[in-house]
Amino acid sequence: MSFTTLVALLAWGILVGVDLVSMPQMMIARPLVAGTVAGLLLGDVETGLRVGVVLELFQFDVLPVGAVRYPEYGPATIAAVALAHGMRGTPGLGIAAGVGLLLAVMGGVSLHLLRTVNARVVRKAAAALEAGDPRTLARVHAGGLLRDAVRAGVVTATGLAVALLGTRLGAAALPAPVLVATSVAAGGAALATGGVGLLRLVRRTNLPWLAAGLAAGLGLVWLA
Amino acid sequence: MVGVKPPLGAAFLRLFVLQCSWNYERLVGIGMGVAEEPLLRDLPGGPGDGAAYRAAVARGAQFFNAHPYLCGLAVGATARVEHEGMPPAQIERLRAALIGPLGSLGDRLVWAGWLPLLAGAALAGIALGAGWVAVAAFLGIYNVGHVALRWWALRAGWRAGSDVTGALRHPVLQGSLTLVGPAMAFVVGAALPLVVRWLARPRPGVNILVLLAIAAVGTLALRTKPRLFTGPRLGLVAVLAAALVGALWR
Repeated sequence: MSFTTLVALLAWGILVGVDLVSMPQMMIARPLVAGTVAGLLLGDVETGLRVGVVLELFQFDVLPVGAVRYPEYGPATIAAVALAHGMRGTPGLGIAAGVGLLLAVMGGVSLHLLRTVNARVVRKAAAALEAGDPRTLARVHAGGLLRDAVRAGVVTATGLAVALLGTRLGAAALPAPVLVATSVAAGGAALATGGVGLLRLVRRTNLPWLAAGLAAGLGLVWLA
Repeated sequence: MVGVKPPLGAAFLRLFVLQCSWNYERLVGIGMGVAEEPLLRDLPGGPGDGAAYRAAVARGAQFFNAHPYLCGLAVGATARVEHEGMPPAQIERLRAALIGPLGSLGDRLVWAGWLPLLAGAALAGIALGAGWVAVAAFLGIYNVGHVALRWWALRAGWRAGSDVTGALRHPVLQGSLTLVGPAMAFVVGAALPLVVRWLARPRPGVNILVLLAIAAVGTLALRTKPRLFTGPRLGLVAVLAAALVGALWR
């Protein structure tokens, strides 16, 4: 992986990390998008798609309502794609997904810390905010964005360092049974998580539509 | 205020950075204040030392929480009633009354509808061989709805003012709510078998059976032990166990 690619991945990770909550929430933080673009940057779209699909299924379990805490899959997906690419793509899918899940949890913790720091900043500026000072309001807000960008950068950089380390340590040389077994296990766990997340989203009255969709999907599998 | 052209464009752009200062103290409140501020500049006294302006800005930055795409409705409505001279206590009540409905509506419409519907369609598209085009289509179509919803919300809030709850009964919004749930269930349901087959490549016969077995055990674990097993924990346990099995296998 060249230095330019690494910088491009880091920049992409910052954009992805900031998109999740701060701005503009256009869903580039979804693993599908984050992974595919990371794959494009690495010249390996197939690996980006594969890692993206697996982690997207895990993302289905997340419903970002209120102050709920959740893993952050965007920057984690980028690092996972970089690792899988270093492991010659598809064979490294399971190991990369595992590392991606760890990083996603770490990203979630960093979001919690950011929100705590933001709350402290708001408390400190409370008097000016209560006085309706627009400059303080803008400063507090812009500070939040800056902190989120730094946070996303740190998470992505850590992930990319793990990916580089994994590649250097010869993760690609792991025995084939390990690579196959971990890939299938990651896929199975992703399906379980996505399925359970889906059941949470689907209202009881829409269960017949879910059943009809499953039947249609099975029909397409049979036809294709 | 009727007859004055509000700077809705500036407020609209600021809605995209609404959550930059999300925090456990006021949640999205600071961002609400930032988005509302351009709409308050015409208040008596203006942004200089205008007491009405400063009081309105302070009110706008209080605690708030709702779906980010629909917060514009509250921004527009509260800015409007500030101009109409509604008493502060009443404005605060209006703001507080919008938190529940805007959160619930946005969650059902976007987080549990539009987003998984299109993500499911993208997954199906990838599984059927559309590749990155499916991802690009997801991003494009999703954001047409996203941007349109944010713009509609701000304009509807400004137009409706204190009657903002009436805007929530808009037929297009209600129709979308009725359609998006079944559509999402159908599309994601159809995507799952396709994704299973896609993930099982290059050895579909064996891999599908193992994938489904792991998925079944995983589903059981997630449903029966939700405190012990979250998605990431399940994934990590599965990958570690598989690595061990793989190492012993050889």
